[in-house]
Amino acid sequence: MSTQNKTPSQTSKNNILAKLKEQVGGADYTKLSKEFAYQYPALSKAEQKKQFISLLEANHAEVIMLEPQEIPTMIRKVLTTRGITRLLGGKASPLENYLLELTNNNSAENTISIQYYDFNLSDPANKDRLFNESPVSITSAHSAIAATGTIVLWPTTEEPRSLSLVPPVHIVVVEEKTLYQDFDSLIKAQQWQNKMPTNIILASGPSKTADIQQTLAYGAHGPKELIVLLVP
Amino acid sequence: MTVQQHVPKQNSPKENKYDPNESKYAKSASEFRANVSRDLSNDELKSNFRGAMDYLMDKRKVALSNEDELETLREQCKLIKQRCLLKLPTLLEQLEQNLEANGIRVHWAETITQANEIITTLIQDKNGKTVVKGKSMVSEETSLNDYLEDRDIECLESDMGEYIVQLAHEHPSHIIMPAIHQNKKQVADLFADKIEGFKHTTDVDALIGEGRRVLREKFCHADVGITGVNFAVAETGTLCLVENEGNGRMCTTVPDLHIAITGIEKVVEFLDDVPPLLSLLTRSATGQIISTYFNMISSPRKNGEKDGPKEVHLVLLDNGRSQAFADEEMRQTLQCIRCGACMNHCPVYTRIGGHAYGTVYPGPIGKIVSPHMLGLEATNSLPTASSLCGACGEVCPVKIPIPKLLLRLRSESNKPANTDGHKQIMKGEGSGRKKVEASIWFVWQLMHKHAFIYNSSMWFATRLRKLMPAKIGVWTSVRSAPKLAPKTLHERVKAHQAQTKKQQS
Amino acid sequence: MTALNTQHLRYYPEKPKQVYLYGTCLADTLYPDSGIDAITLLEQQGIEVIFPQGQTCCGQPAYNSGYQDEAKAVALAQVAQFSLDIPIVIISGSCGGMMRHHYPELLKDEPNIQAFCDRIFEFTEFLIKVLKIKLTDQGKPEKVALHTSCAARREMGVHITGKNLIEQLEHVELITHKYESECCGFGGTFAVKHGDISAAMVKDKTANLLDADVVRYISADWGCMTNIDGALEFQKKSLRGEHIASYLLKRTQNKASQSEGTEK
Repeated sequence: MSTQNKTPSQTSKNNILAKLKEQVGGADYTKLSKEFAYQYPALSKAEQKKQFISLLEANHAEVIMLEPQEIPTMIRKVLTTRGITRLLGGKASPLENYLLELTNNNSAENTISIQYYDFNLSDPANKDRLFNESPVSITSAHSAIAATGTIVLWPTTEEPRSLSLVPPVHIVVVEEKTLYQDFDSLIKAQQWQNKMPTNIILASGPSKTADIQQTLAYGAHGPKELIVLLVP
Repeated sequence: MTVQQHVPKQNSPKENKYDPNESKYAKSASEFRANVSRDLSNDELKSNFRGAMDYLMDKRKVALSNEDELETLREQCKLIKQRCLLKLPTLLEQLEQNLEANGIRVHWAETITQANEIITTLIQDKNGKTVVKGKSMVSEETSLNDYLEDRDIECLESDMGEYIVQLAHEHPSHIIMPAIHQNKKQVADLFADKIEGFKHTTDVDALIGEGRRVLREKFCHADVGITGVNFAVAETGTLCLVENEGNGRMCTTVPDLHIAITGIEKVVEFLDDVPPLLSLLTRSATGQIISTYFNMISSPRKNGEKDGPKEVHLVLLDNGRSQAFADEEMRQTLQCIRCGACMNHCPVYTRIGGHAYGTVYPGPIGKIVSPHMLGLEATNSLPTASSLCGACGEVCPVKIPIPKLLLRLRSESNKPANTDGHKQIMKGEGSGRKKVEASIWFVWQLMHKHAFIYNSSMWFATRLRKLMPAKIGVWTSVRSAPKLAPKTLHERVKAHQAQTKKQQS
Repeated sequence: MTALNTQHLRYYPEKPKQVYLYGTCLADTLYPDSGIDAITLLEQQGIEVIFPQGQTCCGQPAYNSGYQDEAKAVALAQVAQFSLDIPIVIISGSCGGMMRHHYPELLKDEPNIQAFCDRIFEFTEFLIKVLKIKLTDQGKPEKVALHTSCAARREMGVHITGKNLIEQLEHVELITHKYESECCGFGGTFAVKHGDISAAMVKDKTANLLDADVVRYISADWGCMTNIDGALEFQKKSLRGEHIASYLLKRTQNKASQSEGTEK
């Protein structure tokens, strides 16, 4: 649609681009210098795993190595030691079977109630519940990065963005086989540029800040605790 | 998708003329000398900054201890930014195209007022009353918070450092750690004074816990989230944000409207340009190998998704950047990725603190970018307030030759009146030229160009050295005056050579 | 390392028969002893030192103040004085940096300016890299600190070669003072234009040097030394700096060098 009257934004756009093009319009890109990346030594899978865990732990995340079938029991343990009886998870997520099993194993003495994030956050009542009545959440992870101790989250319709953000304790299940040495090789191997989702989060520990006299404090606005369940 | 007409509701459309004095920072920048005087005598402030800078310098050193890696990365990052700047107009168009295709609306603003008007309109269109802000130095540039408050829109900072600074009715004193000028006792006093029900304690965990409590409620109920952008990827139409606290994620996920604002120089070409830049940014800034969160946003809420903003907007701001761009040497200023390493290593910044500059961006980067944003006339004192030690240029992750650019700005500031009608390079060029100084250098030039004038002048100077005043202005307020030698080196060499000849014969 | 310092990259010639000496304007008017001592040291190594009487100033004061045209005029006059194709040894790292790294751009219209700049060597750099000097320390044991000017450090690598020279002196212990690499606050006209900030910086530098508990500090730059010594004198402290040329001459002679007892 073209109108006679340009909006201020369009006018600004034309002015800005005109000024920039005046300088570099017709620039010869072949004269650009070649860019060299630093060649990091290749790490074995075992070394990558070790680096991944030690960096996460240095950032105050808790890393638990276990087999997939142990997940429901471990979740129960994590919640019970914190005196928590409610867990928020994604509906029809990759973790669905674990959550079902968790429910099946509920006893009179030890009941974990699973809530599913299948509501619209825009509703103020839902926001209130998410912010005030959800002590712990659990999500799966898309992949992981060893060089920086990072968990890659690709939120989906099943596991929304705020699921891993708002509850003060976040449990994340990471598969070792999705571990890459560094961010660069992950992007290239999976060709991310062709399929960027609504949102990707690289999370490397519980939230923190050093804004007050450079003193590190954990649990700023994001989760205070990040618990990583690392399966093969 | 229809294009919404963003016609400002308040005043009649302003003439699109860049006015350096639009920003209130033009006034505070011109008060630099008085600010410095005030802050140099503040011992608590100096102590706070010394401690903070030492901490940040040490952290960076540890994280970047492999010199090979560091220098390879710096060169790579410099070339990435230079490539992106060379392609800037094309990349901006590509960025807009891909963002719009993803559902993110793009707006352009030449001036800070235009940017504020766009943002205000977007908020008012949704009857928004409360804004929660992630850290954005560009929004400081436009004084957005004040603009919104004047229009009855509550605007609350959510980054802990920004929150502290807002409570204290101050501005950030550092581009990464906004409250770095305060120690924990000062923060405790502030919280006790301003936050109802807070019990005074200097325990940092408790202080942060209090900030979390207050702001959590705001995240929950805010209508709008406003953030900056660290990297805008043209290839994929993605906005990338670096943070540790999680407030950026909150601002970009919970409210139904997300507005991002950034400078036009922040666009990068490819997604894989990001990893090296990110790696060097976090380590240069705080010595972290990566920030706690790296947030990559490529669209608003899609069908079926349960959260995330329904609308996402990006405002691209010029505000003098195109002026820097127009000069090939000064274009390097735009390579900056806002890490703060330059100010962390600056002996001047360490002593005068961030507020003395009176600009949004303090320290070395502030000195070279503020003249473009605020005009040279307001910022004339800044380029000279450096001993050119070069510590900044040495640590800059994208190898901006900051001392060289400071020299260039001094040159622009001292330019004689435009008698040959050459194209004006900068607003306020020549505004720092002082007749007295120009005469001094004229005489100096004559004297040093012609050896006989020099040698005879120096002969007189040395012979009359006892008449040299003991008090020479500010120099002698803390030092004794330099003492001229009885004979110049020129004379001494003649004597030495004569003596040697004698000995040889 | 910055791009400017090319100590690890540049080509160093064999020991020459002749060199030029560039005295610098500060040494000329305030500290000529260091110039004579540098010449003496070089002559002791069997080198003929030529000192063009037409030299004045490298132009840095005007250059740093943003008066490029004036700086250029004076710079050109300097270049004309050193026409023989022999090394030019400068007894100041900051003037050295100016002539080696900034002249190519300031005088970019001059044919062969790079060839001129390639002949510039800072004094300690020349001693270590070209002469490969070996010093024999004849002095008494003492502790010293080393202050390297920022330009000397970042443009000419003097913190390395200066340190090498002092470490060769067997009876001298080199103490690293706190914030060693931090600027002393001179910065030429900076000390005058922003005197209060400069004063704060030199106060800290003197405190750090005094804290190192040394009998003297050594430097290769008279700009810094005028600044630091001036402050020390003002504070009524006895610590003073010594130019490295004078210091090395003194230590290798075991007798008073020409720099002792000169009326000031």
